[in-house]
Amino acid sequence: MSFKNTTVGHPAPPPHLRVSGIHKRFGGVHALRGVDFEVARGEVMALVGDNGAGKSTLMKVLAGAHAANEGQFFIDEAPVNVTTPNDANGLGIQIVYQDLALCENLDVAANLSLGAEPVKSGWRFLPHLLRPLDDLEMEVKAKNAIDRLQVKTLQSVRAKVGGLSGGQRQAIAIARAVGADCSVVMLDEPTAALGVAQTRQVLDVVKRLRDTGHAVIYISHNMRDIFEVADRICVLRHGGNVATWRTENTTPDEIVVAMTRGLDAGANNVV
Amino acid sequence: MSSDLKLTFIDRLRILRETRFGAFVPVLLALAAIWTYFGIAVPIWDYWGDSDAESIRFIFLSSRNIYNLFMQSAVIATLAVGITVVLLLGDIDLSAAATAGVCAALLGVLVLAGVPAWIACLIVMGVGIVMGAAQGVLVAYVGIPSFVVTLAGLLGFQGLMQKILPTGNLNVGDPFIRGFARVLLPETAGWALATACVLIFAVLNLRKQGQRRQKGLELESSVAVWGQVTFFGVLMFATVATLNSYRSVPLLVVLLMAITTLVGWVTTSTPYGRSIFAVGGNQESARRVGMNVKRIRVSAFAIVGLMAAIGGIFGASRFGSVSYTAFAGGSLLLESIGAAVIGGTSLFGGRGSVWNAILGALVIGSLGNGLDLSGASAADKLMFSGAILLLAVAIDAVSRSGSTSS
Repeated sequence: MSFKNTTVGHPAPPPHLRVSGIHKRFGGVHALRGVDFEVARGEVMALVGDNGAGKSTLMKVLAGAHAANEGQFFIDEAPVNVTTPNDANGLGIQIVYQDLALCENLDVAANLSLGAEPVKSGWRFLPHLLRPLDDLEMEVKAKNAIDRLQVKTLQSVRAKVGGLSGGQRQAIAIARAVGADCSVVMLDEPTAALGVAQTRQVLDVVKRLRDTGHAVIYISHNMRDIFEVADRICVLRHGGNVATWRTENTTPDEIVVAMTRGLDAGANNVV
Repeated sequence: MSSDLKLTFIDRLRILRETRFGAFVPVLLALAAIWTYFGIAVPIWDYWGDSDAESIRFIFLSSRNIYNLFMQSAVIATLAVGITVVLLLGDIDLSAAATAGVCAALLGVLVLAGVPAWIACLIVMGVGIVMGAAQGVLVAYVGIPSFVVTLAGLLGFQGLMQKILPTGNLNVGDPFIRGFARVLLPETAGWALATACVLIFAVLNLRKQGQRRQKGLELESSVAVWGQVTFFGVLMFATVATLNSYRSVPLLVVLLMAITTLVGWVTTSTPYGRSIFAVGGNQESARRVGMNVKRIRVSAFAIVGLMAAIGGIFGASRFGSVSYTAFAGGSLLLESIGAAVIGGTSLFGGRGSVWNAILGALVIGSLGNGLDLSGASAADKLMFSGAILLLAVAIDAVSRSGSTSS
């Protein structure tokens, strides 16, 4: 690595999820070259970089969708192994992909418990797949999840997802990830396709996640959103770290320069 | 999200389709329109046009004709219920009628060979499941589009049926098999059954409402709850009264309702059914939450195979014979797919219900029956059926294109 490892500094809170020295190769392409990354509980860590910088690859490595060729994972400083999506789920790492993957033909409650539907007790003589669904329990769970995130514009958990706005859908995708008992939430470009009001709604949800003690990894190209919600900003370039800034100590211009040109000699306000 | 904006007709249609019972409205309207036309408008027209007629004769709405209508629609409805399940996945089954034909032919041959009828029925149902599941494996694991697999199935099974029945026709006189269509419930049993169904429906609805109140969930308006119960009750008692005033409730109709209730319950109220809807709505989403999409596909095709076999048994029972034209070679396939689609089940997957398929089958049956009564030619029948089908799919397409943009 040609840059000084600036990820871990004293003002930073103790990390909840930390990875170090991550290498990922796809055939001859060296996509990640020893990346260090960390995120603490109750913090929004923005992950930025130009196209091809390795953001998505890093995210997929964290989610277990790609196995890293080299590198260590730590949860609360205890070493762990993440090589499959199930490993990541087991450690409470959830990812909200850009395409959300919601079923538009089902209502909000059904989407939130998709794949883990509660069934009524009793009926033990039937296989699990054919036991009656407990829709009321499903609605209670959905209401709690929605209330926790304070999605105010959503009137009913029985509304079909197909009829909701983009912001509401994003909020529901986030609620589904959070509902799975997770501590780390990764959001991939959550506001990319949204208008002003809906972006506001999603950013509010992100802040709620931070306030409820989740570690949030926020991937975006939108500097205004990043400077509004992020506590720290980690910049990647050409598959390696450039640096990590505290949001209050930097400016959008500086981040853009770091993304496109790496660290200049003059950029000395590193945490 | 203010809803004060002026709603277009299509918006209203879309909102209507999204509600729980709203999906029934278009097909009920179609049914009402057809019944009004053939039942009231045509007789009055004939009466005015014919100076010799002494009184208006409401043949279509006579209890005898309604009874026949139910019996005629039963086989179509059985197949349509099965086809609805694969349509929910976004697949299609073109081989259902041919499967039914093979099963019916096999049934006839087995019974002729002296196999006890109830064992023959079970064997045939097993064969139907295997035929369906085999096509499902080709769709899910080999990755051939269901349209192609079942088109091949349609051709192959038509041939197979001709192999089983070289003469093309076989009489089925076994009393057990004829019994499905011939046995009539005693009048009092019909009334008792209807009362029991309505009571169970009412109790389940009210209990659910009570549980909602207890858990602090949003309540259905009591108008809606009692409206549903009343509507269901009127429908049940009117049906039983009509059938009783001709003969009485036939066993075939009771069996069909029981099977539909079971399939309806499985598709809407179990994790398995939810996974069918999830795969139909967004396959990628279903895969990510850990559902086994391939196995779900195969099982859905197995269900169509089973329903086709049952349809074959019902058909053999009703006609008293198995013939090539009544199943594989005739219009049964298109009528049953048409019934499912007219009922409001989307060809794109994820939306629909088996109850709508029953209503769709009644629409198709009424249309054929009414045109027959008014002396229309086979050509008229085909053209009318085509127009109705087109209208139903247009409603589906319009209400769908609206719901994806937000």
